[in-house]
Amino acid sequence: MAESEEEVDVLVQRVVKDITIAFKRNPNIDEIGVIPCPEARYNRSPIVLVDNKLGVESWCVKFLLPYVHNKLLLYRQRKHWLDREALVDITCTLLLLNPDFTTAWNVRKELLQCGVLNPERDLYLGKLALTKFPKSPETWIHRRWVLQQILRQGHSRKQEQGEAEHAEMSQQLSDHLARTLHQEMKVCCDAACRYPSNYNAWSHRIWVLQHMAMGNIKVFHDELSSMRLWVSMHVSDHSGFHYRQFLLKELITELSQTQASTTITTTATTDSPQHCPNSLHHHGHSQANGELSGAEAGEEARQLSFTTVLQLFHQEMELCSDLIQSFPGHETLWSHRRHVFYLWHHWRKEHQLHCSSNGGSESVSVKDGDPGLQTVSAQSCAGRKCGESLNGQRNASEAMEVDGVSLPDPRDSKRLKRGVLLPDPPTLPSEYSFVSSILDKCCNPEQRRFALAYKKWLDTVIGQQP
Amino acid sequence: MTAQGTQVKDVIIKPDAPSALLLDKHADYIAAYGSKKDDYEYTLSEYLRMSGIYWGLTVMDLMGQLPRMNRQEIVDFIKACQHECGGISASIGHDPHLLYTLSAVQILCLYDSADALDVDKVVEYIKGLQQEDGSFAGDKWGEIDTRFSFCAVATLALLGKMDTINVDKAVEFVLSCMNFDGGFGCRPGSESHAGQIYCCTGFLSLTGQLHQINADLLGWWLCERQLPSGGLNGRPEKLPDVCYSWWVLASLKIIGRIHWIDKAKLRTFILACQDEETGGFADRPGDMVDPFHTLFGIAGLSLLGDEQIKPVNPVLCMPEDVLKRVDVQPDLLS
Repeated sequence: MAESEEEVDVLVQRVVKDITIAFKRNPNIDEIGVIPCPEARYNRSPIVLVDNKLGVESWCVKFLLPYVHNKLLLYRQRKHWLDREALVDITCTLLLLNPDFTTAWNVRKELLQCGVLNPERDLYLGKLALTKFPKSPETWIHRRWVLQQILRQGHSRKQEQGEAEHAEMSQQLSDHLARTLHQEMKVCCDAACRYPSNYNAWSHRIWVLQHMAMGNIKVFHDELSSMRLWVSMHVSDHSGFHYRQFLLKELITELSQTQASTTITTTATTDSPQHCPNSLHHHGHSQANGELSGAEAGEEARQLSFTTVLQLFHQEMELCSDLIQSFPGHETLWSHRRHVFYLWHHWRKEHQLHCSSNGGSESVSVKDGDPGLQTVSAQSCAGRKCGESLNGQRNASEAMEVDGVSLPDPRDSKRLKRGVLLPDPPTLPSEYSFVSSILDKCCNPEQRRFALAYKKWLDTVIGQQP
Repeated sequence: MTAQGTQVKDVIIKPDAPSALLLDKHADYIAAYGSKKDDYEYTLSEYLRMSGIYWGLTVMDLMGQLPRMNRQEIVDFIKACQHECGGISASIGHDPHLLYTLSAVQILCLYDSADALDVDKVVEYIKGLQQEDGSFAGDKWGEIDTRFSFCAVATLALLGKMDTINVDKAVEFVLSCMNFDGGFGCRPGSESHAGQIYCCTGFLSLTGQLHQINADLLGWWLCERQLPSGGLNGRPEKLPDVCYSWWVLASLKIIGRIHWIDKAKLRTFILACQDEETGGFADRPGDMVDPFHTLFGIAGLSLLGDEQIKPVNPVLCMPEDVLKRVDVQPDLLS
């Protein structure tokens, strides 16, 4: 075992080199780890590469980390010179062992800015660090910075292009962004599987959608469906369920905008929300109606959006009921129910409120006690300001602040012709009866406690609202 | 806890768990902590050294033991960590960040020597990190988080320079992170989290905007963090933890709802997290102790009214007598 300073020096330099060689030899390394091994084995590198897994024998970590750590800090204080290649290698080793060392990520940001590293390479390093440290806040923070570089690069490249090259370029860029987006979702999912209720992983996932896919209904829909199985298998993962709530809320906001914008023009592709110059806009809802024209298409689109909103709420409540009954005693599931019902309650209330306050001739009434008799006004309600209290947020409501909203009438003959049945939306009485049925059947004390708390929540938070 | 096969995530407090406060042991533990600089452990946590010092010194002060620490060495260290831009780093050679700028200023307030720093430069640094939407970046690389909004206003409040930033915009951003359950997340749309809630309620207290909180709704969510063991968790279905016990308890105190939880049970849980042999507190009974959980254990007991400990301020997690000296009195709801 190495003891003297020179011996440590030689050993560590060899190990850093071995790690670099391992990455060159196998660009597909997909996981890192420490191999418990208290003693060095004679004449063998402590770096082990098996299949696509890179392991470091534990005995060498206590020499390796302080060495690379101090080297980098001396460089940062300009007391020791390191060339670019050495910086890349040292920060790589350092961050795989201690990914919350902010300054090491910052050194890589500088290397990236001067073109020594490319963004993909750093996303890859972060991905590997997350296999061992799935929560590491600094790794997630660095990822967001790198992603922003990719978005900015794309944006400036777009502006540099002439008209002729523009279309092809755009296509390439959006393909590239779509791949990056997909890869981020995968990284988030892996980290979420490695550590339950991984706040950093899930809030990163939200950030990615907000910056790379805002307004893209298809991406949000796909996320919602792919998450269905995941949450069913992780019924105590509060962060995973919160992500679903986020998706649901964004989809509903987006669909409500569709209802508004399609009344004005069917080919309208509403402008992208701020802060996402390169987000992937597909506006599937507009394209879907490409073969129709004029008012007819607008009406179709509106109906489709409205039905979709109802279906989304219905399916979510069904899923939630199923899970609550199959896995009794999970606070997460009851918390999810609160959130979904709250969203629904406000969505419904806002449409109802704004119409009657504008003196609409046919008032909207998706009645609480009478889901079979829903009537929704086709009255246009200009000047509405909805969402003022949705989620208790101010800014969140901005996206829903749209004029000229009009809802289709479910009794509309066109709807009936198409044979689409509106699902039953949740109502306050149906929620109370859900609680009673749980209390009647279930003797799990936790389940009963959560059911009673939900009832109390309905009484006070929902029941006392005007 | 009660029925067999229940999934409630909680701990069981053993009958022989510590139930008396071992103040002397804790003071010895912290006093000795800085002196043993095991290479590996020390390097692993050097990226947050400044906060580590804040935890250690604050808990010593709360226990009336601050004179045991080496004041001059610490003040010199902090001076050496201030950068050209005015920001302060976790340690020498590391990059400056708002997190460590706040910790440094808190430490210097304990020592009544904020003027050891170039205060104007600190203020410029913070001011420069505010974004158009009112949010704060943690450092020049631009990460946004409500934690950094708290760090910015807490530092400025301690320096008496709150008027240098756009407070209205800053408030607007924090309120945009409020959720349907009354809680707050790190950014708009993010999940409510007890640590973020602490930062946001603290932020609203320092900016005089506590009336913007739905205290009953948020108080409800915070109370639901208490588990049968008495400990508090930070989100639904997470394990109880001494540090979350502080963040939840301090938030409840700020919004005037501390009487909504079972204080006696929480005290039992916190005391059970002490290590009788080494001193110090762990996250949960039986785990390894550290200075971070030791501060939040002691601070929590102080908020619960333990008279052997100095009264702690729930917003800044500093002794009340220190805040009186620097003339900072954050709002609390009643």
